[in-house]
Amino acid sequence: MLAWLTGGGLVGSGLLSALSNFVFITPRATYGQPQRFGIGKPDDYPPGTRITLENRRICVLRDGTKLAAVSTTCTHLGCIVGLSDTGFACPCHGSRFDQDGNVTGGPAPKPLPWYQVTLAPNGELEVDKDIEVHPGSYLTL
Amino acid sequence: MSQAAQPKTSLWSAMKALPGTVWSSVFRNPVPSNDLERSATSFTNFFLHIHPVKVHKNTLRPAYTLGLGLIALWLFVVLILTGVLLMFYYVPSTTQAYDRMLDLRGSVAFGTILRNMHRWSAHGMVAVVFMHLCRVFLTGAYKKPREFNWVVGVVLFLLTLFMSFTGYLLPWDQLAFWAITVGTAIAGYVPFMGKEIQFLLMGGTSVGQEALLRFYVLHVALLPSVLILMIAIHFWRIRKDGGLSRPPEADRVPPMEMAGPNLADPRNLVPRPYKTYGIQGLVRGPITKVNNIPDNTVYAWPDLFIAELFTLVVTVSVILVLSLFFNAPLEEPVNVMHPPNPAKAPWYFLGLQEMVSYSAFWGGVGVPTLFVIGLILTPYMDRSPGGVGRWFSRERLLANTVFIAFVVLNVIFVIIGTFFRGPNWAFVAPW
Repeated sequence: MLAWLTGGGLVGSGLLSALSNFVFITPRATYGQPQRFGIGKPDDYPPGTRITLENRRICVLRDGTKLAAVSTTCTHLGCIVGLSDTGFACPCHGSRFDQDGNVTGGPAPKPLPWYQVTLAPNGELEVDKDIEVHPGSYLTL
Repeated sequence: MSQAAQPKTSLWSAMKALPGTVWSSVFRNPVPSNDLERSATSFTNFFLHIHPVKVHKNTLRPAYTLGLGLIALWLFVVLILTGVLLMFYYVPSTTQAYDRMLDLRGSVAFGTILRNMHRWSAHGMVAVVFMHLCRVFLTGAYKKPREFNWVVGVVLFLLTLFMSFTGYLLPWDQLAFWAITVGTAIAGYVPFMGKEIQFLLMGGTSVGQEALLRFYVLHVALLPSVLILMIAIHFWRIRKDGGLSRPPEADRVPPMEMAGPNLADPRNLVPRPYKTYGIQGLVRGPITKVNNIPDNTVYAWPDLFIAELFTLVVTVSVILVLSLFFNAPLEEPVNVMHPPNPAKAPWYFLGLQEMVSYSAFWGGVGVPTLFVIGLILTPYMDRSPGGVGRWFSRERLLANTVFIAFVVLNVIFVIIGTFFRGPNWAFVAPW
C-alpha cells in the first residue's frame, strides 16, 4: 500500500513536472516583428522593378499595374535569398529560385511563398505575412 | 604545578607541530613507501579514490588507448575553468554580447587568451571525443560487459556536439547567427513535431534575444550538468566493468612467476591489510585476487597518476601554445538581413551542412538519426565475443571496415564542405 502510494506519487509528480516544465518553456508572447506592416505608396515601386525590403524579408514585384510581395526567407533552412539575374539565390546551401519564387535548383523543398498585399484607405500598401496567397496572385492597382 | 607530573605537549611544541598536524589531518596518508601505503593513497584521497588501487598494465599502454578519453576529460576541465571565467564578463543580450566579445579582446586582462583557450579546447574536445569513439570501436572495447558504457559514451559524444552548437551562438557574430538559423531550421525538419521543437529552441519564430538567452542557459547550466553526470557514470562503469578493455590473454599470468614472491626478500613482506572487503566490494573480473599472487597489475600510485598528470600537462601545454599563436575568430556583428556568402558552419558540422545541401531532411535529420541509432545498437547487435582489446583485430575485419567507411565518408564531406564550396555553396576549386 505504502509502496503503491509512493510509486504513484513519484510517477505522477514526475509526469506533472515534465508537463509543467514543457508549458513553462513555451513562450506565451514573442517579441518578434509584427507580421502585418505598411510598405509605403505604390509609387515607391516603379513598374518593372524588384525591390527587396531587407528588414521585412520580402521582395516587392511590380509589373505594370500589378504588384506582389514574395518572401526572401529560403524555404530550405531559413537563410535570406539574394536577388540574382534569374531570380533568387541562397548563399547558404545553393538553392535557386526563378523570379516568381519557383525552385529551379538546389535543396529547397518548396517555392518561396507569396504574401497578401492590400491597398489601405490612406493609399498605403500593406503586407500581411500571416496570409499566404497563391503564387501569381497580384494586387492590381 | 599539579599537572607537571603528567607529560603534556606544551603550547609551543604544538605550535611547532602545527603544519605537520594540519597536513596529516588533510592527507591521512604519508607519501607512500610500501605497497600498503600505495594502496591507502588511492582510497584515502577524495580525488584519487575513483581510481582502483591497482590497474592492469594494459591500461597504461599509450599505444592501446592513445590517452584519448583522458585528454577529452582534461579538455573538458579546461573548458569549465575558462568558461566560468568568461561568464564574469559575458552578457547574453543581443545588444551587448558582441561588444562584450570586443571587450574581451581589448580591455579585459587575459581576455583574448581565455577566449582562445575556450574555443580551441572546444574544437579539440569534439575531435578527441570522436577519436576516442573510433578507438573504442576499432579495438572492439564496447563488447560485453561494456555495452552500456558504450551507449553512455555515444550520449557523451552527442552532448559534446550540443555543447559546441549552443556555445556557437553566444558571440552573436555573423557566423553565430547564421549557423544557428540553419541549425534550428534543421530541427524544423524532424517529423511530426519539428516546428514545435524549433519554436521551443528559439523561444519564438526567429533567432533573436529569446534564442540567445535559451542557448546561454543550455550552454552554461543545463548541458554541463548533464555532461558531468554522464561523465561520472561513464567513469564509474569503467571500474565496475573490470577496468579498461584488454585482450583475454593479457590476464594470463606468466607461469614462472606462479611460484609466488620470494619471501626472503624483505621488500615482498607486506603488512596485513587493515581494509577488508565485503562480497559487494569485490571488483568484477575474471580473477578475484587474494593476497599477493603475482599478476599483471601495477599500483595506481604512482604509475597511473604520473601518466594522468603527464597527459594533463601535455594537453594544457598544447592548448596554451595554440591560444598564444592563433586567435579565435570573431566575424562582423550580426546582420539579420545579410547572411555571409558562403555561410559555413564550424568544420565538424560541415559534413552535415554538405549533406543538408542535398536534402534538408535526409542530410540533417534522417542520416544522422540512423547513424546514432546504429552506434547505440552496435554492442547489442554485434554478438561475436572475439577481437577485444586489439587494434584492427582480424576477427573484426567486417565491422571495422564498415565503420572506417562511414568515418572516411564523413571526413570527405567535411573536406568538400571546407575547401570545395564557395559563394552560393557552388563547387569551387580551392586553388
